[in-house]
Order: sequence, then structure tokens, then C-alpha cells
Amino acid sequence: MINSILRFGLIFILLIMLQVLLFNNIQFSGYVNPYVYIMFILLLPMEIAPWLLLLLSFGTGLIVDFFSASPGMHTFATVLVGFIRPYVLRIISPSDGYEGSSDPSMLAYGFRWFISYTVLIVLIHHTALFYIEVFRFADFFRTLLRVILSSIFSVTFIVLIEFYRKGK
Amino acid sequence: MRNLLNFLARYNNLIIFLFLEGIAFYMVTHGNNYQNSRVVNGVRGITNGIEKRIYSARSYFNLKEINIGLALENADLKNRLQQLTKKEGQVFFSVNDSLKKQQYVHTFAEVIENTVNKQKNFFTINKGTDQGIRPDMAVTSEMGVAGVIVGCSKNYSVAMSVLNLDFKLSARIKSNGYFGSLSWDGRDYRYAILNEIPQHVIVNVGDTIETTGYSAIFPEGVLVGTVNDYEKYGGDFYKISILLTSDFKRLQFVDVIGNLKKTEQQDLEKLYK
Repeated sequence: MINSILRFGLIFILLIMLQVLLFNNIQFSGYVNPYVYIMFILLLPMEIAPWLLLLLSFGTGLIVDFFSASPGMHTFATVLVGFIRPYVLRIISPSDGYEGSSDPSMLAYGFRWFISYTVLIVLIHHTALFYIEVFRFADFFRTLLRVILSSIFSVTFIVLIEFYRKGK
Repeated sequence: MRNLLNFLARYNNLIIFLFLEGIAFYMVTHGNNYQNSRVVNGVRGITNGIEKRIYSARSYFNLKEINIGLALENADLKNRLQQLTKKEGQVFFSVNDSLKKQQYVHTFAEVIENTVNKQKNFFTINKGTDQGIRPDMAVTSEMGVAGVIVGCSKNYSVAMSVLNLDFKLSARIKSNGYFGSLSWDGRDYRYAILNEIPQHVIVNVGDTIETTGYSAIFPEGVLVGTVNDYEKYGGDFYKISILLTSDFKRLQFVDVIGNLKKTEQQDLEKLYK
């Protein structure tokens, strides 16, 4: 128990630092802003209580909001993801269920499963985030383009980090 | 009562979700707007330490360009000084500068935190109320307009960048004086949009765009950009794409301009609205 709290605390700090110090400064042409910190919510164990998941999502969003000076936007998106994650896990569950490991990791359930899991969560998160950021439906398709392009980069970086984790 | 408890037990996650989402939504709607960016401001105080260090390291890499910019600005100021001193040799001259006649105060500041990749961009400068900075002051770089101060602490201020969907500025075409409303469309950090220029006006690519001074925030005649492209939009107006002269990606030294007669102008205007 203590062990896993320490482990996720470390993952959390690393991801937030990576996001704030590196990815928040990446700017390709104004269309691409990868948000990698969402990986923390992806990696939380499967049997975590829904209310705890929601609170952790809320805290994550709040802290990222603090560091990127954007009141509420990230919080809104992460809480949404925290609520939807159990449903996403149910939809993409492998044919023999989640046997063996409680970590939703690439090591436990394979590359294809992890990709579809990441893509779904990242898409939901980025859609909520970018539309709440613009806060209007004018330029609907341009925002959609930003969602898709940024999601591609976020998913790529998350999968790379996961490969690195797997190698360890 | 028991039914109610059952209901709560069954949907407790949904209720927590809606509650947290409500808080987030409240923050989005109440912390993000133009006048009330106190949340942004308070929060910046916490992260300023880290960001200041990053910026102080980064500022070394731009020194050469900044020197060139300052030299150009210096030359321009010397030219203007020349024109002013010449005038004093005449028999009749107008007094430009005394305590009552001075309209604008300039304060030099350094940008310590800046973004261009969001839809609502802000930047932070290293001076605040202790150095005489107040909300609603204009911010210009050596090249042109940069933004408007929206919040101040003692030693820091947050400015809304031109690259913000909420930013509006009254600007005109220098050659013929027709004015319109300048805003950013959220696409490219180098371009802004000038609206409300009627179609009978002759617009050329390369025309200079400057501020009008109608808003009592920016002085008249500050450079904004040049016409990059224009198209007919709606029935009567042009939609003109402006190439901004300020490079927001390496905004570093700015000039904060306060209008000493702003309240006087605004009070008078309020009477007739």
C-alpha cells in the first residue's frame, strides 16, 4: 500500500515536471500542444475506487492549471476523464477479461490494447480541454484539427514513455 | 429518507463527478475573463520563481538581436529629439512637456513569462504596483503593440497579449486614417485580423497599421503591423490580415505606457453613453 502510494507519487511528480518544464514550452505552429500528464490517470490501478479516481483527477487538473495559469480548464478535462475511465476500460476489455495484473500497462495487456486505451482517453481529454479553452463553437473544425493533431503527439509521447517504462 | 439514502449510495460517484465538474466549470467561467484575472495573477506568484530562472538563462541567447533593436530605437529617438530641439530655436514654439501637459508615462519592464500557443495568451512582466504599474495600461515592445495590463501584484503584472481571443484594439490604416477593430483569430501568432474597414477604402498589401488612441489605453500612432492580405467579408467590410511587427515568440523588453488623462476622458465619455 505505502509502496504503491510512493510509486504513483513519484510518477505523478515526474509527469507534472515533464509537462510543465518541457511540453508546455513545445509549440509547433500553434496547432500542437501535447499534454502528457494525463498518463498519470491512465496508469492508476484498475481496482481503484471511483471516488478516489475522481479526486485524484481533480487534484491533477488543479495542479496543471496552477502551473499553466489556466483556471479550471485542465481540471474540467481531467475530472471528465476520471469519470469515464472505468467505462472505457469496460468497453475495450480483452476477451478473457482483466486477468493477471491490476496495472493498466503495456507490459500486462500488450501494445494494441494500450494504444486503443490511450487513444480513447487522450481524445476525450483533448476534446474537452480544447473546446473549453476556446469556449465557443465558432471555428469548430479548426479546434477539431487542433484536438486531432495534439492527440497524435500526446499519444506518441505517452507510448514512448510507456516503452521506456517497460524496458526498465 | 431511506429511498434518498439508497439513491445517494447508488449514484454517489455521479454526484461527486458533477460536484467536481461544477467547481471546475465555475473556475473556468469566473477566473478567465478580461477584468478578473486575479486567479491567474495569484497563481503566477507561486510559479514565478522557476520561470524567472528559466527566463534569465534564456535571455542570454537573445542579447544580439536585442542590442540591434535597442540601437535602432535609440537612433529613432535621437531623430525625434533633433526635431524637438530645432523647434526651440524659433520665436514661437509650443510647450510640449510640462507637468500638466504630459499625457503618457513610460515604464521599462522585462517579460519573465510568456506563451503564444494557447487561445488566450498572457505574459508576466517584472514590475507591479510598487513601480507604478496599474491595470489597463498599454504594453508595447520596441517593434509595436504587445498587450494590455490586466492584473498587478506588488512586483509583478500580468498582461493580456494581443494573441488572446478577448483582446480588442482600435487600429487604423496610416495612409488614409480609416479605422477598424483589431483582434486575433487564434491561428498564427504572427498574424492578427483587422475588421470593419469599409469596402470603398483602398487597401494595399504592405500598408502600415497603427493605433488610433480612441480607447484611452494606447497612445495614438503606435505601430501594429502591415497589411498582409485582405478579402471581402460579408456585405460591406474587408477582413484584413495583419502581419504583426512585434515578434511574440521572443518578447523580452517592453515599455508600459500609462495614460495620465485616461479617467478624465472616460468620465467625460460616460456622461454621453
